[in-house]
Amino acid sequence: MRSLISLQGLSIKTSSDGRSLTSDVNISLIEGEALGIVGESGSGKTLTALSILGLLPRGVEVASGEINFNGENLLSIDPERLRGIRGKEISMVYQDPMTALNPVMTVGNQLLEVLDCHNHDVKDPESHVKQSLIEVGIPDPDRALKSYPHEFSGGMRQRVVIAMSLLLSPKLLIADEPTTALDVTIQRQILSLVSRQRSRRQMSMLWITHDLGVVANLVDRVAVMYAGRIVEVGTTKQIFNSPQHPYTQGLLASLPVASSRSRNRLASIPGVPPKPWLVGQSCSFADRCQFAHKKCRESLPLLDARGTKSVACFYPIASSI
Amino acid sequence: MTLVIDNVIKKYPIRQSKSVVNALNGISLNISKGQTLGIVGESGCGKSTLARLIVGLESPTQGAITWRDNVLLRGSKNQWRNHLSPAQLVFQDPYSSLNPRQRIGECIKEVIVAHNLRQKEEIDSRVTELLKVVGMSEDMKNRYPHQLSGGQRQRVSIARALAAEPELLILDEPVSALDVSVRADVMNLLVDLRKEFGLTYLFISHDLSMVRHISDVIAVMYLGRVVELGTWDEVLDNPQHPYTKALIAAIPDHSQVGQMDLTVSLEGEVPSPTNIPLGCAFHVRCPIAVPNCSKMIPQLLPIKSSQSVACSEVVK
Ligand SMILES: Nc1ncnc2c1ncn2[C@@H]1O[C@H](COP(=O)(O)OP(=O)(O)OP(=O)(O)O)[C@@H](O)[C@H]1O
Ligand SMILES: Nc1ncnc2c1ncn2[C@@H]1O[C@H](COP(=O)(O)OP(=O)(O)OP(=O)(O)O)[C@@H](O)[C@H]1O
Ligand code: SF4
Ligand code: SF4
Ligand SMILES: [Mg+2]
Ligand SMILES: [Mg+2]
Repeated sequence: MRSLISLQGLSIKTSSDGRSLTSDVNISLIEGEALGIVGESGSGKTLTALSILGLLPRGVEVASGEINFNGENLLSIDPERLRGIRGKEISMVYQDPMTALNPVMTVGNQLLEVLDCHNHDVKDPESHVKQSLIEVGIPDPDRALKSYPHEFSGGMRQRVVIAMSLLLSPKLLIADEPTTALDVTIQRQILSLVSRQRSRRQMSMLWITHDLGVVANLVDRVAVMYAGRIVEVGTTKQIFNSPQHPYTQGLLASLPVASSRSRNRLASIPGVPPKPWLVGQSCSFADRCQFAHKKCRESLPLLDARGTKSVACFYPIASSI
Repeated sequence: MTLVIDNVIKKYPIRQSKSVVNALNGISLNISKGQTLGIVGESGCGKSTLARLIVGLESPTQGAITWRDNVLLRGSKNQWRNHLSPAQLVFQDPYSSLNPRQRIGECIKEVIVAHNLRQKEEIDSRVTELLKVVGMSEDMKNRYPHQLSGGQRQRVSIARALAAEPELLILDEPVSALDVSVRADVMNLLVDLRKEFGLTYLFISHDLSMVRHISDVIAVMYLGRVVELGTWDEVLDNPQHPYTKALIAAIPDHSQVGQMDLTVSLEGEVPSPTNIPLGCAFHVRCPIAVPNCSKMIPQLLPIKSSQSVACSEVVK
C-alpha cells in the first residue's frame, strides 16, 4: 500500500559544526496507521518530528534524506505550500503547549483564527470551536473561549492545543508527549478522542511519548530510538511481548507493571547514553549492553528487515514466539 | 502519629474578581513515622497545595497541621522553618528546582549552613557523604546543574532535601520528568533511603504504578477532598469510590497490549475549583449518582478498619 508519509534515510546535524544528532531514520505510515516513537531522552524523537514540518530549531538542519508526504517531498517544497500543509493536513501537538499558543489572544479567537486562516468551511464557527473544547474535557467552555492561555493550568492548555490540532481534521497528527501533564482519566478522554478521529477520518498518527502504557494501547507499530537512530521497530505486540533489542528489553524491564502484585526492586539500565556524534562505527548501546561482544565495538549494527520487525543488533534476543 | 493534617482548607483569592479557588476543602490525613502515604488524584485537585502547606511555604486558610504535637497555626511559616525542619520538599522538575549558576556542592552546602547543622570544618565532608548517599561521586561537587542528566539532577535535589536532616520528605511528582529507565533508579533510591534513615514519605504522583510501588497507604483526592483512603492494596485492588474505580480503570497498562478499552472514559465535564458542584463534587461525572448526591456532601467513612470512602452510595 502507498504510504501517506515516509521518511527515508533522514539525518539531522548541527549547522555550525556538523555534529550528527540523528542518523538514517526511516519511518513510513499508511493512511489511518498510528506509529509510536519511544526512546531515551535526547535520542532525537522531537527533532525527527519537527523536521517533518520544516520547523527544526535554529542551529539544526537536515543533513540528508527525504520526507515524502502524499507524493510531495517536503524538504524541497515551496515554503508557501508547506505552510498550507502545516496545520491543515499535518498538525502537531508540542511537548510545551505554550509554544503553540499566543499569550495575548483569547483562546476563542485563536481557535477561530485557525479556521479562518485555512479557509475552513463550517456553518457555525463559534459552536464548532466550542464543541472542540467540550470534546477535550475543558470545564466551562464558554468561559474558556474568553480566557487567555496564562489563565489555564498546564493540563488545560494542553487540552486546548489538542483541540486546536484536531480542528481542521488533519490527515496526519504528530503528537510530542501530549498527555504527560494530564491525569489518567483526562488522558483516557484524549486518547479516546484521537482514536475516534482516527477511525472516523482515517487520520494517521505519529505519537511520541515516554509513557509506554499509552503506546501499548494506542498505536499499531512502535519505533524505538536510541542515540539518534531507530534501533528496533515492529508491531506493538512484538515490541512489548518479545523485544529483541537489549535496550528495548531494558526499557520494558524498568517499568513497574500497573496490575502486578509484586513490589520488587525495579530493574534499571546502568550508565548513560553516548552523544550520538561520538558513536562512530560501533553499536551505540555497547557500553551499557550485557550482551556486547568485540564485534559490537568494531562495527555498526543496522536495521535489518525481518518481516514486519527489524532490529539493529548483532545478537538480538531470541524471540519467544 | 507523626503528621496530622486536620480539616485543612485552602482558598486562593483570584485577583480582579470576587471568586476564589477552593484548592483544599477540608482535608484530614495522618501519616505515622516510617510510613509512606501516596497521594493520587486529578490535575488541579490540590496535591501540590497540600505539599506546600506541610512544608510551610504557604499557610492554610483554616485547619491545622500538627507535627509531633507541635501545632502549626496560621502564619507559622517561620516557626516551622526554624524548628527542626522536619519536612523537606522535593519538586517535580529537576531542571528548574536547582539554581543554574550554583555548583552542586554549593547548593547542598547552603542548606547545611542555613540550618546550622554542622561545624564549619565538617561541612565539606558532609556534602560528600550526602552525594554518596544518593549514589553520586565527590567530583560532582564542582559541576553545574546543566552538566548533569535529569536523573542526576533529581538525585541532587534529593541530597539537598536530605541535607536538612528531615524526618518527613514530601515528594511531589519526583520521577515524572525523568526517563523511564532513570525513573527506576530514583525509585529504588527512595526505597533504600526510607529504610536506611527511617524516613516518612508523602509521595505525590499521577502515575499509579509508581504510587503502587512505594506506598503503604494511599489517599485519593478529588477537588480538594479525600474521597478514598486505605492500604495500597485495598485502594488499588479493591477500589470502592466510583472515582477511584474510574482512575484505576484508566491506567494504561503496557503488559496488556491493545487491551485497554479506549471508548470508556468518565463522561461529563471536569468541574472547576472556583465553582465546585454542590453536594458530592463528583456527581456531575459519577456513573452511579442518585438525585440526593447533589444535595449532601458525603463524609469519609470507614467501610473496613483501614479503608474509608466518601460516597453515600457505597457507605449506606
Ligand atoms: N537547537 C539545538 N541545537 C543543538 N542541539 C540540539 C538542539 N535541539 C536539540 N538538540 C540535541 O539534539 C538531540 C536530540 O534532541 P531531541 O529534542 O530530538 O530529543 P528527544 O528524543 O525528543 O528527547 P526528550 O525525550 O528529552 O524530549 C539532543 O542531544 C539535543 O541536545
Ligand atoms: N497561587 C495560586 N493562586 C491561585 N490558584 C492557585 C494557586 N496555586 C494553585 N492554585 C489552584 O489551586 C488548585 C490546586 O492546585 P495544585 O497545584 O495543588 O494541584 P495539583 O493537584 O498539584 O495538580 P497537578 O497534578 O496538575 O500538579 C488548582 O486549581 C490551581 O489552579
Ligand atoms: S549490537 Fe551488541 S552491544 Fe549493541 S545491542 Fe546488540 S548485543 Fe548489545
Ligand atoms: S456520593 Fe453520589 S455522586 Fe458522589 S461518588 Fe457517591 S454515588 Fe457518586
Ligand atoms: Mg522531545
Ligand atoms: Mg502538582
